[in-house]
Amino acid sequence: MSMKDDRKNPKPVSRRQVLQAGGLSVAAGVMASAMPAAAKEARFAGDLAILNVALGLEHQAIAAYDAGANSKLLSADQLKIAVSFQTDHKRHRDALTGFIKRYGGTPVAPKSSYDFGTITSATDIVKLAQSLEDGAESAYLANAGKLENREILNAAVPILEDEVRHNTVFKQLLGMDVTERLKY
Amino acid sequence: MNPEKPEWNSVAPVVEEKAEEKNVRREWLRLASTASAGAMIFLLTGNTKRLYAQSLEGDLGILTAALYLEHEAVTAYQAGAESKLLSPGVLKAAVAFQSDHKYHRDGISGVLKSLGVEPKGPGKKYDFGALHSEKDILRLARDRENGAVLAYGTLASNILTKAVLNFGANVLVDEVRHRTILNAALGIPNY
Repeated sequence: MSMKDDRKNPKPVSRRQVLQAGGLSVAAGVMASAMPAAAKEARFAGDLAILNVALGLEHQAIAAYDAGANSKLLSADQLKIAVSFQTDHKRHRDALTGFIKRYGGTPVAPKSSYDFGTITSATDIVKLAQSLEDGAESAYLANAGKLENREILNAAVPILEDEVRHNTVFKQLLGMDVTERLKY
Repeated sequence: MNPEKPEWNSVAPVVEEKAEEKNVRREWLRLASTASAGAMIFLLTGNTKRLYAQSLEGDLGILTAALYLEHEAVTAYQAGAESKLLSPGVLKAAVAFQSDHKYHRDGISGVLKSLGVEPKGPGKKYDFGALHSEKDILRLARDRENGAVLAYGTLASNILTKAVLNFGANVLVDEVRHRTILNAALGIPNY
């Protein structure tokens, strides 16, 4: 078995994924270019609304990790996790922003400030992060099936995977139960 | 501990299923491309009738392949649990994860039945290689979960029936959770 992280290098499927994603991009591009601008704006309005809610969560998460990193309360290992997860959220933010712009929407901007409550310890920060990741996981999970655009759904799935991974890592750090399945 | 003794006592690792396993995985990927072709036809022509036919065929294929993976996972955890090599904490997780996979198996089987397709049962024998230590079992489980994440993650956006997609998304969440925990147990970075 491979000890490297397969999630960053999914070789068995990557070529196919690229081909599929490429094909769908071309198809979507053909349709978009053949439509007037006004009609373009109306396309996937439901998806854009979902993406903007998700984008708001990504902005909030990025700010929370900034607050955590700037607090100087985190150990070196915790800081490493926080930086890595924040990088994931920045990638999500950029992907969501790209889709919203492409389909004629206006990406929601980050708030000028966020209230994360009182943070006096590393545990406070991990608890905050876990609660935000848990909320993000629920949001992506609840909305994935509502997305109409297959390309957007294709992009949302790995984001959901990231949120679950983040949430699980923090739950383990906090000693929470990670063996219980969500109800569905 | 799961009281379903008969199942926990019936595993005998033997080399026999390899060829079939390869075929199922190949079939899984073929179905992925079929479903995607259906989506492309819809995008280019708006032909929903054809899309519906494609979607049902594609979703049935995806569900059948997913069921194979779930049977395999249930059996793998069974082999691990009855090996007597697991410490209490790991055994508890293994039983919980096996229970999740049984839940997935039953859900997928139910959907297939509702669509008029008789779900296949588990293979008679699976080859999990030599299991000499807790780490061997953790690696076996981790590899199965990793394969499941890749499979569900790749195919989720090819599932065209809403109810199936929602169920699949929840299954994917379980698989990612399992993999993350097993990564941590094996010292594989999750970040």
